[in-house]
Amino acid sequence: MNAPTDTAEARELALAGMGASRLRKEDARFIQGKGNYVDDLKLPGMLHMDIVRAPVAHARIKKINKEAALAMPGVHAVLTADDLKPLKLHWMPTLAGDVAAVLADEKVHFQMQEVAIVIADDRYIAADAVEAVEVEYEELPVVMDPFEALKPDAPVLREDLAGKTEGAHGKREHHNHIFTWEAGDKAAADAAFDAAPVKVSQHMYYPRVHPCPLETCGCVANFDPIRGELTTHITSQAPHVVRTVVSLLSGIPESKVRIISPDIGGGFGNKVGIYPGYVCVIVASIVLGRPVKWVEDRIENISSTAFARDYHMDGELAATSDGKILGLRVNVVADHGAFDACADPTKFPAGLFHICSGSYDVPAAHASVKGVYTNKAPGGVAYRCSFRVTEAVYLIERMVDVLAQKLGMDKAEIRAKNFIKKEQFPYTSAFGFEYDSGDYHTALQKVLDAVDYKGLRAEQAAKRADPNSPTLMGIGLVTFTEVVGAGPSKMCDILGVGMFDSCEIRVHPTGSAIARMGTITQGQGHQTTYAQIIATELGIPSEVIQVEEGDTSTAPYGLGTYGSRSTPVAGAAIALAARKIHAKAKKIAAHLLEVNEGDLDWEVDRFKVKGDDAKFKTMAEISWAAYNQPPEGLEPGLEAVHYYDPPNFTYPFGIYLCVVDIDRATGETKIRRFYALDDCGTRINPMIIEGQIHGGLTEGFAVAMGQQMPFDAQGNLMGNTLMDYFLPTAVETPKWETDFTVTPSPHHPIGAKGVAESPHVGSIPTFTSAIVDAFSHLGVTHLDMPHSSYRLWKSLREHGAAL
Amino acid sequence: MTIRTAITVNGKETSREVEARTLLVHYLREELSLTGTHVGCDTSNCGACTVLLDGEAVKSCTVLAAQVHDCNITTIEGAAQADGSFSPVQEGFRQEHGLQCGFCTPGMLVRSYRLLQENPNPTEEEIRVGISGNLCRCTGYQNIVKAVQSAARKLQEAATATA
Amino acid sequence: MEVKLDKQYPLDVDADRAWALLSDLKATAGCMPGAEILEQLSDTSYKGTVKVKVGPAVAQFGGTVDVVETNTENRTVVLRGKGADKGGSSASMDLSAAIVADPTNPAHCVLNGSAAVIVNGKFAQFGGRMMVQVSEMILGQFVENFRQTALTLPAPAGSAAGQSGAASTTASDAPKIAKEINGLAIFWQLIKGWWQGLFGSRG
Repeated sequence: MNAPTDTAEARELALAGMGASRLRKEDARFIQGKGNYVDDLKLPGMLHMDIVRAPVAHARIKKINKEAALAMPGVHAVLTADDLKPLKLHWMPTLAGDVAAVLADEKVHFQMQEVAIVIADDRYIAADAVEAVEVEYEELPVVMDPFEALKPDAPVLREDLAGKTEGAHGKREHHNHIFTWEAGDKAAADAAFDAAPVKVSQHMYYPRVHPCPLETCGCVANFDPIRGELTTHITSQAPHVVRTVVSLLSGIPESKVRIISPDIGGGFGNKVGIYPGYVCVIVASIVLGRPVKWVEDRIENISSTAFARDYHMDGELAATSDGKILGLRVNVVADHGAFDACADPTKFPAGLFHICSGSYDVPAAHASVKGVYTNKAPGGVAYRCSFRVTEAVYLIERMVDVLAQKLGMDKAEIRAKNFIKKEQFPYTSAFGFEYDSGDYHTALQKVLDAVDYKGLRAEQAAKRADPNSPTLMGIGLVTFTEVVGAGPSKMCDILGVGMFDSCEIRVHPTGSAIARMGTITQGQGHQTTYAQIIATELGIPSEVIQVEEGDTSTAPYGLGTYGSRSTPVAGAAIALAARKIHAKAKKIAAHLLEVNEGDLDWEVDRFKVKGDDAKFKTMAEISWAAYNQPPEGLEPGLEAVHYYDPPNFTYPFGIYLCVVDIDRATGETKIRRFYALDDCGTRINPMIIEGQIHGGLTEGFAVAMGQQMPFDAQGNLMGNTLMDYFLPTAVETPKWETDFTVTPSPHHPIGAKGVAESPHVGSIPTFTSAIVDAFSHLGVTHLDMPHSSYRLWKSLREHGAAL
Repeated sequence: MTIRTAITVNGKETSREVEARTLLVHYLREELSLTGTHVGCDTSNCGACTVLLDGEAVKSCTVLAAQVHDCNITTIEGAAQADGSFSPVQEGFRQEHGLQCGFCTPGMLVRSYRLLQENPNPTEEEIRVGISGNLCRCTGYQNIVKAVQSAARKLQEAATATA
Repeated sequence: MEVKLDKQYPLDVDADRAWALLSDLKATAGCMPGAEILEQLSDTSYKGTVKVKVGPAVAQFGGTVDVVETNTENRTVVLRGKGADKGGSSASMDLSAAIVADPTNPAHCVLNGSAAVIVNGKFAQFGGRMMVQVSEMILGQFVENFRQTALTLPAPAGSAAGQSGAASTTASDAPKIAKEINGLAIFWQLIKGWWQGLFGSRG
């Protein structure tokens, strides 16, 4: 006899809802090569745009000679800043309250900056035409270092800001200064330091790196002059924001602007900003009345689109002599490049950096971040950073290690001693964040037990005692708390639009459903996970819930996907929209069963009359009834929309432990073991979560062990191709071990916190912690990234540990 | 300077007048509208453009269309089984969550397919080396390895079944 | 990107002829591989071009060469060259060159060259890792051209070279000065040099 298919358990399995590791719904098209990426789009009459870029980092433009390019067959236009001036589009506002050049206006501010655009019949002709545009430059002295930039006699970078002593974030102290932002209580922190018996300090640099998704940025703009409508396909993580900005810049009403983010080949924060290429291609389409496509190549992507980090940080911890932290002080010099185009919520020019008190109960703290202009490409917030949380977690985790080393304390012990205790949640930090929930002690113990931490330390001690040991063994431990889910609109806005998010669900008469959200997946699996949320809330199998995102003409307004905000914000909107439908469904069920609502229980996919199992109505039956037998006073149909303004951020956390063996002869590091325990609250799809963790850990490995964007003294960016920029292959990438605990968020409708950036935020300091730990018996307290073989080989020599 | 080429793609003959400098990847994507093969870099590093050329895996960004006159090209669009069902490699990727954004996937699938022809029973190490010409930013490769292992098992089963 | 070079080149030319050539800027500039002097702007300033080709990629640097200093007593010149290519690279070079007589052999001398080269733009970005070797190769080609040109000058009366008669020139002896710097040829030389270095050959 077959297993009954109508038990609650069987029906729950059939739903493949919350908690199920169900296979992804989006895979079918990708494994057949039928994805729909921006560069796949081909429209009748479409032209191609390419960009003439500055070869030098700082120069005046003396002359641009378009003749040769314009004379080439197949070239339709060559535009420069002068052509955009009458449209007032040669400069554009940035998300950070600054302005950025769309095309270099008399002056070049960074190497590879956009100087002119060429529009031609196909991409080959466009590339030829780019070579034919002649530009005469008068080179100016470059500033590649933020400390040099702040010297009194430093060259003036932003002549357009001459005389402006007030920036978007307060006073500007110097012609290359952007802002100084502070958080916490300086007086309290200083007092704590004055009174503390133990003080440690450490300078550390978080290098400039680039998210480098496999698909570069691109855009196909199609202005229909007959209808006066603009449709743009774009690699954007925030299509609604793009629509609003495009409408404001172009004067076309938002109702006639349609932005479509189709399939996106990885975002990682690289595809949040609005780039000059997008503006130019839209202008070109409007002016020419034809579709125009622009897709950048990899060199352009690495050289000119949103970089990440470039934070010079000085951390200090004050503590008791037995390791209890009394105070934290941080000073940061932030290299923002030539324009402040940092993609942060408006009120936070340093993002959420003030989460830097971490998982610890720090009574007094102060942080100050100074933003500076240099002759580098603009950006700063990108690459799975949760708005500078990568920098913050790196800072505090390194400082705790430095403190542990100073006191000769074990790195796990000092953390456990300082953790915010489970009973203290919700916990308000010295910086004002209200952490929602956490149980750090349980998670830490789980990891230490799983890896046999004591055994590892004993092994390390034995290796240290052997002068001929071929490797230096290091154990890295990071216990991080993230802050994601931006965010409550009273605190968080992008260009004035509050950072809520949204979901609209419509259930069809025959029981399937369609749902649209204001976020946009770039590989995170929303088509699957969002359907799973709805499946559990409404008892409709996730297989028949169609999830759509990215088309601003159909999706409700949202702020997009970045900073791990999809599950915390849109996920909540989804649950609450579903609950509105659930409430209506209950009314319909009561009507059909002729009972009061109070007499009904919900079980998986049906409302049952209390005490009478035979009397029930399934969601499928209710859906049908909604369209032809709604009860008196209720409209027909079964749909709802919810806009969710989160009451707070969410605070996922993790415990990561890494064991490394550094070859004393070559500096090569083998990642022997990496154990990652994550707590993201309620887990929607464990298989997808694990995939996200693997990906974030791998990108973290790349950052910590090899990625850099070195500039020479003349401002040339060396190594902006994949020959040099370290993207690990399957060979270098370590094997990951994942684990979890579940501490739901009390303020979130389904208790979920978001997870995709945690592995990146947490792994980078873990690798550094392990590498430094390998050298710690030699008195080393810190080594800057990247930890390439060459750099470690030099360190081995420097500290007398080379073989 | 243009040149007449005749290239068989996924079993179908195609014939076009192309510029000598036209890359095979652009020929596939723009001339033939086979957009499954992707461009991810400009230095032959990423492998998103991998196709089979007379059965061997090559990076189509580094091959000229004119070079493969009279040759056989197989792209991801030619990967499915004759009855339209997923191949063992495609099914393996789906079952083991070996893809996220999907951009590296066509190249990865084509290469994995060829890898399993070269080495039907690879160790994990051999798989990692075998796909080291294909970059992925999303998955961290761990599930891709499992996907290839799953496909290898399936192909072995099918081979022993028909043996 | 900055490269500093400091090299000594023994030449089988007497110091007088070498200095005669070195102090003639136009002739010396003519020894620079791929260089062409187009116009004399002043006593000490010339306008010219240098063409560099690496496979299909070509850059034509147009710019100026100035004689910053000439010291007849020490037989030194200081030159400054600056150029830019319309495609997006620029370069500048400060070169000090001196002729030092060989005390053991009046028919020989040493050309001391010390140069600081700054390259900006595309060449710096993509050619960065080869810059030192390429600069050395270019300097090496220059010296060879210089040597050949110096040998064609009339030998000083009574000198060994004059007596040997080896200095007479015919059209067929005219030095073959490369019209362009061929990057691939340089690259091949680099590979050969590296390969030879592996096997310790003296070349």
